[in-house]
Amino acid sequence: MEQLFYYLKVSWFSVKRAPLPYMLTVLILSLGLGVFFSNATFYYRMNSDPLPDKSDKLFFPMMMLVPYQCSDCKPPSVLSYSNVAKLAASDIPSAKAAMYSADGYLRQHATQPPTPVNIRITQRDFFTMFDVPLLHGSVWADDQARDELLLSKASAEKIFGRSDVTGQQLLLDDRLFTVIGVLDEWQMLPKLYDAFGRNYLNAAEDIYLPLESGYDYNYLSNRNSSTFDDADYRKLATDGRTKAIHQLQYWVQLDTPAQQQAYRQFMANLVADEKAAGRHPSAEANQLVMMRDIIRYFGGESGDIKAFAIVTLLFLLVCIFNASHLSLNRYLSNQYEFSLRRALGAKRSQLQLQLLVDMSMMSAFTLGGAAVIAYGSINLMNYLWPSNRLFASWDLQLMLVLAALTLICSYLVTLYPSLRASFGSLNKQLKE
Amino acid sequence: MITLTNLSKIFRTELIETHALRDINLQVNEGEFAALTGPSGSGKSTLLNILGTLENFDAGDYLLDGISVKGLSDAALSKLRNEKIGFIFQSFNLIKDFSIYDNIELPLRYRGLKASERKQRIEHALELVGLHARRDYLPGQLSGGQQQRVAIARAIAGQPRILLADEPTGNLDSLMARQVMELLEQINQQGCTILMVTHDPDQARRAGRHIQIIDGQLHDSTLYDPLTRQTA
Ligand SMILES: Nc1ncnc2c1ncn2[C@@H]1O[C@H](COP(=O)(O)OP(=O)(O)OP(=O)(O)O)[C@@H](O)[C@H]1O
Ligand SMILES: [Mg+2]
Repeated sequence: MEQLFYYLKVSWFSVKRAPLPYMLTVLILSLGLGVFFSNATFYYRMNSDPLPDKSDKLFFPMMMLVPYQCSDCKPPSVLSYSNVAKLAASDIPSAKAAMYSADGYLRQHATQPPTPVNIRITQRDFFTMFDVPLLHGSVWADDQARDELLLSKASAEKIFGRSDVTGQQLLLDDRLFTVIGVLDEWQMLPKLYDAFGRNYLNAAEDIYLPLESGYDYNYLSNRNSSTFDDADYRKLATDGRTKAIHQLQYWVQLDTPAQQQAYRQFMANLVADEKAAGRHPSAEANQLVMMRDIIRYFGGESGDIKAFAIVTLLFLLVCIFNASHLSLNRYLSNQYEFSLRRALGAKRSQLQLQLLVDMSMMSAFTLGGAAVIAYGSINLMNYLWPSNRLFASWDLQLMLVLAALTLICSYLVTLYPSLRASFGSLNKQLKE
Repeated sequence: MITLTNLSKIFRTELIETHALRDINLQVNEGEFAALTGPSGSGKSTLLNILGTLENFDAGDYLLDGISVKGLSDAALSKLRNEKIGFIFQSFNLIKDFSIYDNIELPLRYRGLKASERKQRIEHALELVGLHARRDYLPGQLSGGQQQRVAIARAIAGQPRILLADEPTGNLDSLMARQVMELLEQINQQGCTILMVTHDPDQARRAGRHIQIIDGQLHDSTLYDPLTRQTA
């Protein structure tokens, strides 16, 4: 122990001897690591699995149930209300929910200025399927239309100043709704249930409304929808239910391979029936995509993020190179001291132990620097691209990776110099 | 205690080969005080570095206490330097930002002595060189002569059997040089073998033995001759 303090003292003295090059080395290394790490955070978040226990049980069915003919089209990602009804007729899935999203304005009293809100219009299984935590109240009793909504915790606190607001009434686009439930803090990251386009980068919605009410009150989808024939997309309550207005995402939970197989068969049968009825002019192109694969399926892995990751990796390498150059110079100017220590009887292993302590000290400083820079650059990225804001949080695992990476980099930076120093010629520097 | 037989050292650079030492035969006995003189570039420092195992050699052999250093590992050589040999350099080679105490402690640290034992030895060495009151000073706060005495204290704190001094008074004025010489003589009287490189004829005369090197070869009256030495 006492010996460790001694080594630390010696390291510290050698830092004090030339503080500027040392600080520069630490700074360069911190910069490389910080920038790399802020990017890695983003990458890690985006590739993480928000529901590791379930992401292989939740499926996104897609079918060519459209009135046009296309020989090698991918099936559209959205379904019409009537097609969803046909799919929903199957009781193979343990849970199923159709959904879309819309915009609205919320206030408590007609005298207040309204707040814009994002609305997810969906069915009751949504909450169990995606493990949405409920803080107060409950979800809808069934999938009927009703003037009941669920609120995110943040929205409840924003509007009422508290979270326990079940039973309270609210004006959503000046229609009176009763709050029946308040969600706990919840954010699926990436938001896979809404994973086409780059919607998986978005925040969870503020308000949850029953699907039937959404159609009744004519809440138009704010995402991609397609309309065919004479259907009028503005008339959701009527045309929306009967005609070809495709705007619903549909999710099913299939727990076992047998269920999955049965469901595929069910989809194939459905296509056969539809073909027979003349409503499926195209070739069959059914898809049943696992939640785990959804981003890959929709090609949502963005190329620029990958390119950026590679750039920051190269930047890190350049920084390591520069830092080792600096640190080599520092060691060479200290080499006289190494020779002296060797002359006084220090074994190579004793010098290397000293270098190890040097390295740990540098790692500690660099870790601090890198954490600050990574934090700063994440905040900068969030400021520049607010839509990525959700990806900036760290967890223990990430921090450990940062620490390990720092250790490795400091090691690389001090490795060559220390070898030079401990295997260099002994007598040269002592003569003067 | 030191035996060199036909020892040669060649420095090779890309352009030239320098025969720094040629066929050196030398025997130094326990308790001797030998002065090493010779013109600049004649190989004095090289010889001293080889004796101190800081430098290896190309031919011949070097026996220390009857054991050839050629076969020793790096760790064994470190141990040998640490325990048997003390170095004194012309430029003192103290670590500037370490206190006098910490400087003297260095070789004792590497030997792995306990704190109490280190302390006792350092105090003893400081006593001997007369710098006990300055133990917490930095080297820069001492005069050249005092710094060299610190270096001597560092060299003898480990109680080595051999002291190798390369122009220990080269950077000192005559008064300080005399003090250092007296100190070395005192240390020698306590039984430590000393080999000292010097340019000062007076110092060489004061030493018990005078060895001259010219052009990498020993040229002097005390040139080692194993036969006469052994029969004497
Ligand atoms: N590392 C080295 N590489 C090449 N040549 C060297 C090296 N060290 C010493 N020499 C050469 O070996 C010869 C002997 O050098 P050495 O330092 O032993 O001389 P010296 O007698 O100590 O001289 P001085 O009195 O100037 O200190 C010189 O010619 C020198 O140039
Ligand atoms: Mg010399």
